[in-house]
Amino acid sequence: MPLPTGYTVAIAQTALALFLAPGLVGLIRWLKARLQNRRGAPVWQPYLELRKLFAKEVVVSSNASWLFRVAPFVVFASTVAVAFLVPVLAVPSPFDPVGDLLVVVYLLLLGTFFLALAGLDPGSAFGGMGSSREMTVAALSEPTVALAIFALALGAGSTNLGQIVARTMADPAAAVSPGYLLAFGALFVVTLAENGRLPVDNPATHLELTMIHEAMILEYSGRYLALIEWAAWLKVLLFFSLLGNLFVPWGVATVLTPSALGWALATLLAKLVVLAVVLAVFETRVAKLRLFRVPELLAVSFVLAVLAITVSFLVR
Amino acid sequence: MDSAFGQLTVLGSSLVLLCGLTLLWRRGSAAHIGAFAAQSVALAATAGLIAVVTGSRELWVVAVILLGLKGILMPILLKRMDRRFGSPRELEPYVNTATSLVIGGLLVVLAYIVTWPILDVSRLPTRAGMPLAMGLIFVSLFVIISRKKALTQVIGFLALENGIALLAMLGTYGIPFIVEVGVFLDALMGFLVMQIVIYRIQETFESIDVEQLNRLSQ
Amino acid sequence: MRLTYLLLVGAPLVAALVAALVRPYLRGVGVAGALLSTLSLAAALRLAGQVLAGATPTWGPSDMMRVDALSVLLAVCVSFVAALAAWLGPGLGRDEHYTPAQARRFRIFSSLFAFTMLIAVTANNVAIMWVAVEATTIASALLIPLHVSKASVEASWKYILIGSVGIALAFVGTVLGYFDYVHLAGERESALNWTSLMAAAPSMHPRVMALAFVFIVIGYGTKAGLAPMHTWLPDAHAEAPAPLSAMMSGVLLAVALYAIIRWKVVVDLAVGSALPDRLLLVLGLASLAVAALSLVGQRQYKRLLAYSSIEHTGLMCVGLGLGPLGAFAALLHLVNHAVAKGMMFLLSGRILDRYHTTEMGEVSGLLRAMPVTGGLFAAGMLALAGLPPFGIFFSKLSLVRAGFATGHPWLMALVLVLLLAAVVAMLAQINRMLYGAPPAGVRVGESNRWGLVPLVLCAALLVAFGLGGFGAFQTLLDRAVEIVSR
Repeated sequence: MPLPTGYTVAIAQTALALFLAPGLVGLIRWLKARLQNRRGAPVWQPYLELRKLFAKEVVVSSNASWLFRVAPFVVFASTVAVAFLVPVLAVPSPFDPVGDLLVVVYLLLLGTFFLALAGLDPGSAFGGMGSSREMTVAALSEPTVALAIFALALGAGSTNLGQIVARTMADPAAAVSPGYLLAFGALFVVTLAENGRLPVDNPATHLELTMIHEAMILEYSGRYLALIEWAAWLKVLLFFSLLGNLFVPWGVATVLTPSALGWALATLLAKLVVLAVVLAVFETRVAKLRLFRVPELLAVSFVLAVLAITVSFLVR
Repeated sequence: MDSAFGQLTVLGSSLVLLCGLTLLWRRGSAAHIGAFAAQSVALAATAGLIAVVTGSRELWVVAVILLGLKGILMPILLKRMDRRFGSPRELEPYVNTATSLVIGGLLVVLAYIVTWPILDVSRLPTRAGMPLAMGLIFVSLFVIISRKKALTQVIGFLALENGIALLAMLGTYGIPFIVEVGVFLDALMGFLVMQIVIYRIQETFESIDVEQLNRLSQ
Repeated sequence: MRLTYLLLVGAPLVAALVAALVRPYLRGVGVAGALLSTLSLAAALRLAGQVLAGATPTWGPSDMMRVDALSVLLAVCVSFVAALAAWLGPGLGRDEHYTPAQARRFRIFSSLFAFTMLIAVTANNVAIMWVAVEATTIASALLIPLHVSKASVEASWKYILIGSVGIALAFVGTVLGYFDYVHLAGERESALNWTSLMAAAPSMHPRVMALAFVFIVIGYGTKAGLAPMHTWLPDAHAEAPAPLSAMMSGVLLAVALYAIIRWKVVVDLAVGSALPDRLLLVLGLASLAVAALSLVGQRQYKRLLAYSSIEHTGLMCVGLGLGPLGAFAALLHLVNHAVAKGMMFLLSGRILDRYHTTEMGEVSGLLRAMPVTGGLFAAGMLALAGLPPFGIFFSKLSLVRAGFATGHPWLMALVLVLLLAAVVAMLAQINRMLYGAPPAGVRVGESNRWGLVPLVLCAALLVAFGLGGFGAFQTLLDRAVEIVSR
């Protein structure tokens, strides 16, 4: 009976994503350090950070409300939910009926929304600043995610992510069509924006006035901080999976056999490593944009997504 | 429209259009000239591609002229003009960048709607790129209207010409040769005359900010 | 016939070459240019005679050039106004107003300007027509800042930018028309000939041709000065030297309108005349409205004349949208306007030379300071205002009749109201200029009497057209209308 296996695979897939996420971010940091002629922390450093944070005491501001304590769980839960819906390893998933593009976008937005509120909740100035900046970025990047994937959905005839992957695998020539390439460009810029990477936001900055994501979580400590960081790293991995599996879907398992799944795991790791290298090189090359220029960059990705849709619309 | 040829021409047309949109995104004449040069090279490449597939010698000549004239010569002249009269200060356009980009995207969608009847008529494999060419025409018109520097307006006009050339290439594999030559000559002459006029503007106004050109307002 | 045609287009080209090659500028070059322009005019008239006798000659590889009644009508207008400009332009007399270098530049570019316009109206190939119209922009743009000043430089920038953009859009329309033809009949050398397009028109795709026509009207309409693309016109025509303004207002606008007419005939066959007519009516009415409203507050007489050109082009456009009778009115109006506007701008040049100001408030006592000039100026204003016995009265009358005949009574009422506003505005201003005493420091008495002769001739022509015209002219006009309203 396929259904228990399906659920098992889905849960295993999500667990795998959770497990790999810190390693992925560790890899990116290590590569950036190497490119900048430093030795850098080892690749498994984020795991050690998580272990440290879970052991530490939680300090909560006296101005904070219940939202402050609930937010990390909401953010973590929503991101894990997205992990169930994105085709990381296998395509036929029991969650397919709800594995819709719009659900993914809304779940991501839910996490962003709660994090922004949590930044405002303790009443610190930096938190509020980070939240408002995050909302500016999210306002332009969330529609772009939807539009970029919608361009692919036009070709597949459905907004179901699994279906889109299946369709690209069935029609390889579509992968180099201009609609796909434009959508890839749009989605790449959005990946940078949603995950707080350069040139939108420097994840390693110590200067509060230049922070966007970091500013919102300044007040968090202990296990709350651990959950939020882990959710952020998971988001990076999920976006990479989207970029990899939607545009270069070969390797994704279409049948739930051990060999197919093993092959899917291998290709997934390969795609993650390639994208990590690309991101590390890109981040080392570009400088951070001034804040009022960020909407311009996001407008570019929005227009790329619109172009992707119009081009795909006619190619049907 | 599944042929590789069709796909590649649409890819080329998308590149040409994206360079046109870059005119709305980047500020500073150096970026604009670079975008125009890249656009002309992409256009020449598309022309070359169509020439290879259709075996048309005339299109080869057109591709070479495009590359030489618009890809190399005009950017050099534009850079020289920029060095002479460029203001080091970047002028704010009439419409800000993010809004311009969104309007540019909407103009491309409008171009698709406008070009719909043409796509019904054409049976050529290159027809899918025609809306992109029309989109470039609209976007270039918007660049001319919304930018304040005379040099940027000229670049917008040159991009407009690129868009029209692309439209002709995709729709009818080019126009009769003698007409093409006439068009190129006209383009070159027009460009030179615009250069002379901008020179005059710089002489009399000491800047090429077209907002200064407001004495005749009745 | 080939020789006549070569004389027609070759004479201005030779004049330009002579002016370019002779350095420093000599008065003889100007005289040669003027004589050559007269030769061109004579050739045009001779061609007109041949066309009236029934010929529609074609020349060139794949019949690129062709002359029919419409072409020759415009060729006569163009060469006439060009001859006026050549005889009354700088570099002939003892001018204190232009340096020899400026006179040389004027001779070169005005002859080139005339050459390109003549090519445009005698081209069968619509792409050649396009190239020629684009070339007119280039030739005239360099002449607008003949006197370099902030205003004239600004005017020439707007002219060349907006004009080139308009022309580029007209090219989009041309490409779309070619596209449709090629998909019907395959690629061939003669694909862009107007005659081929006419033959293929009934089977062309309506929606493509409609789209093409929209681009054509907006594109060539920019050159013709139709609203809302007219913003360059008042500046350019006011800042340019008088002979150039005469050519631009008198015939360049007409040539742009001619291009629209050629395409309209094709599109009428392909799409039916409902859409083209409506488009032309809307744009013509918009131009009329803009002009009428702007005329009311004008303070400079050259800008007044420029806005009047917009008004008249708008009228012609309205006429073209009203069927055969309207087309007759439009073409009659075109010829009359060319003569009248040419005369008026040249007269304004004389006024500027004497009074050294373009403000109407500072010009007074014209009838006393320069009686003949003033009288002619007044006559020209009356002609432009559409009063009898001048020809424009009859063309306006025909226009209104055409409007009623095609079932647009309210439209005609609106047109009449706008025309009335324009007329009142113009006549009120001219009154102030004509009467009273000339300001101190202005010399009294005509200078350069010989220069007045062509202008008197113009006035006489205007009256002659009004009183019934010449038989041959009427026939030519009728033939041209036949072409337009096929």
